[in-house]
Amino acid sequence: MRKKLILHDLAREDAESLLPPESPEYSVFAATPSLHHCVGCFGCWLKTPGKCVIKDRGSDFGALMPLHDEIIVISRMVFGGLSPDAKAVLDRSIGFILPFFRIANGEMHHTRRYEKSPDLRYILYGPDINDREKETAQKLISGNALNFGAKNYSVSFHSTIQEIKEALA
Amino acid sequence: MKIALINGSPKQKDSATGIILNALREKIGEAHECVLCAASSQSGRDVLEAVGGCQALVFAFPLYVDGIPSHLLRLLDEIQHDITGSSPGAMVYAIVHNGFYEGKQNITALEMMRNFCDRSGLAWGQGLGVGAGGMAGAAPVGHGPMKNLGLALDKLASNILGGKTGPDHIFEPNFPRFLYKATAHMGWRMQAKKNGLKPKQLCDKPFLQDKDRQI
Repeated sequence: MRKKLILHDLAREDAESLLPPESPEYSVFAATPSLHHCVGCFGCWLKTPGKCVIKDRGSDFGALMPLHDEIIVISRMVFGGLSPDAKAVLDRSIGFILPFFRIANGEMHHTRRYEKSPDLRYILYGPDINDREKETAQKLISGNALNFGAKNYSVSFHSTIQEIKEALA
Repeated sequence: MKIALINGSPKQKDSATGIILNALREKIGEAHECVLCAASSQSGRDVLEAVGGCQALVFAFPLYVDGIPSHLLRLLDEIQHDITGSSPGAMVYAIVHNGFYEGKQNITALEMMRNFCDRSGLAWGQGLGVGAGGMAGAAPVGHGPMKNLGLALDKLASNILGGKTGPDHIFEPNFPRFLYKATAHMGWRMQAKKNGLKPKQLCDKPFLQDKDRQI
């Protein structure tokens, strides 16, 4: 069984109706209420390796990442990327990788902390997502996959949150 | 001319973003009014008020997870519908710097700033993608490894003051990649030691079962 970790920024009632319940297969992490943003201290690399030093539930997501086979991010699309709430969670999760660099595809990227990295899937929603923003999102997930070490990744776009249930099926 | 310099670093002081914006401020010169904003401590309402009447908005920030840091993203999300009312006709310039060596890894974040302009109705001026931005304090801007940064900021300042657009400029420091990588790795180990850690502890796997950990 592939274990999936869902990160979402949906309202509670929408999450309850659209997302699968917590189970051995699915873990669900809500990006709201908003987490404190990453403060750029590098504590997750240099003080408590692998763990964010900010004391709130944000560090829980980093703990769940290495225990799953796939991370599914359900987020309102903002400027071709994730919403501020969803992005705050990922910004707080860079302890999942190491500060050290490797060269991949001719570029510098981070090395893995864990041997296995979950696949990455973004389900982005918004009423009027345009082609330019879709192109940006494709580049974003490609870069995120490379840096988080995900072998497989995909992104899909949805005009309403009702489509999310279908996308998850 | 009134110009807003918006610092998108989460750090209140000693940030590479601050060094870059200070260098740009000097190149713009004292004849022009520069308004300084900090995305980490100011609300959208504060920023809208501060940038009122500006002809140019310069956003500078570090690359976070291939994109815009969440606190700055939240600010941009908040102000996107009102910013043209606050600074009508303003041109947007963006400086993105990253911890990797290659400046091109900032392209996605620059695209996000263009998308912000599309959504807000502001005009896009120019973007700079600064590789190895953490080196900004390694030498005076415009000298040694920071020569390319100085040249890029000269051109950017000229475009801002002329109200001109320019092609996005992506560049690296005047410093070899292998040395940057080696220096960074040495720096991580030294900082770990200062924090009371052994170098190998940097690679700890805190969230796996004990049998799977490699400490």
